[in-house]
Amino acid sequence: MRNLIFLFLLIAGDLTCRAQNFVKDNYTKREVYIPMRDGVRLFTSIYIPKDPAHGPYPFLMERTPYSAGPYGDSSYRGNLGPNAALSREPFIFVYQDVRGRYMSEGSFQEMTPHKEGKKPGDGQTDESSDTWDTVDWLLKNIQGNNGRVGIWGISYPGFYASASLPDAHPAIKAVSPQAPVTDEFIGDDANHNGAFFLLDNFDFDNFFDIERPAPVKDYGHNIFNADIRDAYQFFLDLGPIRNTNNPEYFNNKGKIWNEYLGHPTYDAYWQARNIRTHLQHIRPAVLVVGGWFDAEDMFGALRTYEAIEKQTPHNDNHLIMGPWTHGGWGAGNWPRFGVLDFGQNVNDYYHQLETGFFNHYLKDSVDPGLSEATVFETGSNQWRHYDRWPPAAAHPVKFYLRAEGRLSTEGEAATARAPGKAAAGNPAYDEYVSDPAHPVPYIDGVRGGRDNQYMVADQRWAAQRPDVLTYQTDTLKRDLTVTGRLRADIFLSSTGTDADLVVKLIDVLPDGYQRLVRAEVFRCKFRNSFTKPEPLVPGKIAEVAYDLNEIAHTFKQGHRVMVQVQSSWFPLVDLNPQTFVNIPTCSAADFRKATIRMYHDATHLSGITLPVISQ
Amino acid sequence: MRKITFLFLFLVLCQWTYSQGNSQDSAWIRDNYYKMERYIPMRDGVKLFTSFYIPKDTTERHPILLQRTPYSCAPYGEEKWRNFAERYIRYYLREGYIVVTQDVRGRWMSEGQFVDVRPFNKNKTGTEVDEASDTYDAIDWMIKNIPYNNGNVGVSGGSYPGFYAAMAAASGHPALKAVSPQAPVTDWFMGDDFHHNGAFFQMDAWDFYSSFGKPRPQPTTVGPSGFDAHSQDNYQWYLKTGALKNIMKLTGDSIAFWKDLYAHPNRDAWWQARNARVAMYNIKPAMLVVGGLFDAEDCFGAWNLFKAIRAQSPATNSHLVMGPWYHGEWASNDGTHLGNIQFGSNTAFWYQNNIEIPFFNYYLKGKGADPQTAVATIFFTGENQWKKFARWPPEEEKEQSLYLQAGGGLSWEKPSGSGAVQASAGQAGYDEYISDPAHPVPYTEDVHFDRTREYMTDDQRFASRRTDVLSYQTPVLTEDLTLGGPVTANLKVSLSGEDADFVVKLIDVFPDDFTYGDEAPRARRELPRSYPMGGYQMLVRGEVMRGRFRESFEKPVPFKPGKIETVRFSIPDVAHVFKKGHRIMVQVQSSWFPLVDRNPQKFVNIYTCDDSDFQKETIRLYHDGEYPSQLVLPVIK
Repeated sequence: MRNLIFLFLLIAGDLTCRAQNFVKDNYTKREVYIPMRDGVRLFTSIYIPKDPAHGPYPFLMERTPYSAGPYGDSSYRGNLGPNAALSREPFIFVYQDVRGRYMSEGSFQEMTPHKEGKKPGDGQTDESSDTWDTVDWLLKNIQGNNGRVGIWGISYPGFYASASLPDAHPAIKAVSPQAPVTDEFIGDDANHNGAFFLLDNFDFDNFFDIERPAPVKDYGHNIFNADIRDAYQFFLDLGPIRNTNNPEYFNNKGKIWNEYLGHPTYDAYWQARNIRTHLQHIRPAVLVVGGWFDAEDMFGALRTYEAIEKQTPHNDNHLIMGPWTHGGWGAGNWPRFGVLDFGQNVNDYYHQLETGFFNHYLKDSVDPGLSEATVFETGSNQWRHYDRWPPAAAHPVKFYLRAEGRLSTEGEAATARAPGKAAAGNPAYDEYVSDPAHPVPYIDGVRGGRDNQYMVADQRWAAQRPDVLTYQTDTLKRDLTVTGRLRADIFLSSTGTDADLVVKLIDVLPDGYQRLVRAEVFRCKFRNSFTKPEPLVPGKIAEVAYDLNEIAHTFKQGHRVMVQVQSSWFPLVDLNPQTFVNIPTCSAADFRKATIRMYHDATHLSGITLPVISQ
Repeated sequence: MRKITFLFLFLVLCQWTYSQGNSQDSAWIRDNYYKMERYIPMRDGVKLFTSFYIPKDTTERHPILLQRTPYSCAPYGEEKWRNFAERYIRYYLREGYIVVTQDVRGRWMSEGQFVDVRPFNKNKTGTEVDEASDTYDAIDWMIKNIPYNNGNVGVSGGSYPGFYAAMAAASGHPALKAVSPQAPVTDWFMGDDFHHNGAFFQMDAWDFYSSFGKPRPQPTTVGPSGFDAHSQDNYQWYLKTGALKNIMKLTGDSIAFWKDLYAHPNRDAWWQARNARVAMYNIKPAMLVVGGLFDAEDCFGAWNLFKAIRAQSPATNSHLVMGPWYHGEWASNDGTHLGNIQFGSNTAFWYQNNIEIPFFNYYLKGKGADPQTAVATIFFTGENQWKKFARWPPEEEKEQSLYLQAGGGLSWEKPSGSGAVQASAGQAGYDEYISDPAHPVPYTEDVHFDRTREYMTDDQRFASRRTDVLSYQTPVLTEDLTLGGPVTANLKVSLSGEDADFVVKLIDVFPDDFTYGDEAPRARRELPRSYPMGGYQMLVRGEVMRGRFRESFEKPVPFKPGKIETVRFSIPDVAHVFKKGHRIMVQVQSSWFPLVDRNPQKFVNIYTCDDSDFQKETIRLYHDGEYPSQLVLPVIK
């Protein structure tokens, strides 16, 4: 979820008592309303170091939709800043409720669109101007500041960090968007490649999307109560997405929920919420952070870094990608995840880099010598440093899906096959029936909520299904390191007029464990355009090519590379009716079985392109 | 575990074997018993190795409790004792029984040739032998040669020894007063261990015979080694190994019975002779047949041996006990749960103390009043109660058909109209799925090598999610529904191929908010820490039928592609209460892997066919007025 409440509870829980004393002993708290240029006032908590000796101090600010609480001058946060070392530096820590959330005035907008060309005095605001006005007020009103401001945030607050970058106040020197929500149609949270992430958002909006007529310290309740113990069954029984507005659920009380359902293509609504477009002429130093096992905003981290790199080439812009779940880098300890053991507390190293970054740009401490990209390579459990990202040393190698479940760097011989025709007894395609009444689960077992271990889980149960195609290489004779862009290129046809495509890259361990390394979904009607969906023509071969974000993984000698292809990933992703209809308004009758063929003949070389680092 | 697993497992649990002991009992037994080993001569001169634990007490005479086994009466040597430990057999020693174990003919230290489930020969003469005559000869020798025996002999045995107990009952020796066949191997083609309705239980068979079946050229105290597949994933291993002929290649030709299994794909005269039920005439001793409702191996044997005794020896004093047990669990110290399903009490302990020990004490020691053991003492899961009946199936049981309906429904009402009528109403008169031998339906959800015993009560939600499993369920029940007795499946099907397996699963769907009360509290997004029981789809009974045998188990016939045919088959008895608020679900699928070998879906000899013979097929299951598929259930009002 974009809200980190639970993560914070987990991380902070056992530390809270001790840390709270530390905060209280060493900081003085103030709560203020800071006026914006349009007169709206934003609630802000400011923690000022008691020790005057080492000042003046820079500000380190998080702007959040998840509450700047606890509220009250005598109620202190359990921890300050992105890691424990930074809270001991110290900084003047600032937490602000963004416009329209919790105790701030004004009205909230999902992913507030950035307004190019606005000018002071024209009354227009966005998150950039709110940040500007806040910074301006802080510099003038908080004693003992050194005139510099750093901004950080994870997840939704990561978006606010990104949104502070365009037209940034000159005092903002260092910004760290971490797992920033960046583009919710293409790759973050709400949709991936136009496929709706039902499980996450149903849960999230139930909590986040409650109407707030006036400032509150506590929203008090969710929109509805759903005691979901078996999410697969729950969402299967729920039926078409429109039923989420049944009286017992959203009941049309979810403003954002209805915006999601009302914008099923990459229209102006979503485009206005793509902050990447505006990451130009960036002045502050930037440290983008993300996790390889972030089920929510891995896309946002990688694409935010990329957008700044492309659009502001001379910006002091860095990327750190680690073996983390959503926000896992904020934990004190991160030695393992699921079945993976990293052999080290990777957060020790990360916290050094993060602390060094803010200290350098805000306090003129020693340059921490951040690499352009600091990337944890899974499989080999190594931190790697690159002077560009993706690394120049990676060259694309296409692994072709072949007959009889083989995966090979050699495609079908061009002479062997006519398109789509069988030759030598081997069909040039594999097929399966995708049945919306029996979608492929995103994970085995029975789960109430989304289990983020699905990102590394064993896929053997999926390989056993008739509606999952599996292709694998021979046993690798030497390590295969892939670092950089990962792209699927699939030729398919369907008996229906729309389909989802899920491509999964899997590391097969010598004992047979099929460890998911990366997976991504694509809603096929968007294959040519996210703004103008097109039906599939039944029986006609279509090419569907898309990125699966970047990767940094070593398939060890003795392992195999496996690719699985399927057409559902439930209920992580909503069901594709497999007919070309408007999914948010369609009815149960629109959901149809479809036979899907995946081609691998000489002219339809389905495959996946891996960024291979030469050994 | 994969060496001798299942039958051996039974031995571990049920026999008097090694375990950390109840030292008090152990010391008492050492002080009050002595051990003796003897070869007992049979009528044909072959001598069977036998070990005796005999009370030192000579103030009274003692009954003999015999077990005949192919699993060894180890440890060998009069100085080496079994650790009687914490198993309930120690109660028999405390009661002063002479406890005897015999290696059956041709196993371990006994002489002669071993024959698996040696056919009963009712017309034997002279020096002809079978297991009944070996038991007769052993009993005769014992009552004449064992000091201070009281002339009463009892025999008990579970699993394979259960077969020998059944054969003992057929021996007719007048000293034999009471016999308890427990999970008796009864018919290996129809329902026990290695085939159910002709479908091959390859995993159990291979696991067992890859070690048990190895030749034993002469008497030995050393057991055979097992086969190591070097795999932790039976689904993957059996799929990769492929057609049954490829498994045969792994054995060489050393395992005689493995070759027999392959040589007899149908229920021919060879199999018919290996049906313990044919011996169940004129049974004289009191009989106590015991079995587990969730016995993955010999559930069939317990129900059906008992039924054969009732039908063929109606005058015999015979009893049946069925508890909520895995194979041999009634002899364990537990019996409170299986897998995720709770039974509310220690059912094994209850059985031992209230049924079995009083039974033998009464018939062998003349001790106590007639225990008045009911004809049938059956544990009903769902309600978690023991119930007693004067017959089985109970008099109050009535057959009632539960019909599969369009749209995944299940109801007592026969569907109306023909397929055409339903089709015009927008619903097909059938459901269909593609059964793909390259992606068979797994029998459990998780990855493991050794066949689990818990699959018999596992949550079937993983199966419901598949495209090749059809699920039908009733509305929420408004009152309890008690089932007790046999189940019959009656399916109307058509195939695009020539053969198919049909697996029918009777499932209890728990309410969404069901809990045993011990699950961890659950925050909004917290993942469950214990198994989520809400909506649990409890397998109550599953059974497979190899379609080619639908008309005859002797003479298989192919399906005609596209033709609607009836597949009717028996499913072992159930004893379960579907509680108010639950639902009944029926699932139908065409594979159960790797529990059951894959049907190539082509009419070929499955034991000799090639990998290339396995093909996908489309299977239709009909549920209209003309072709109503149904489950005939034993409803108790």
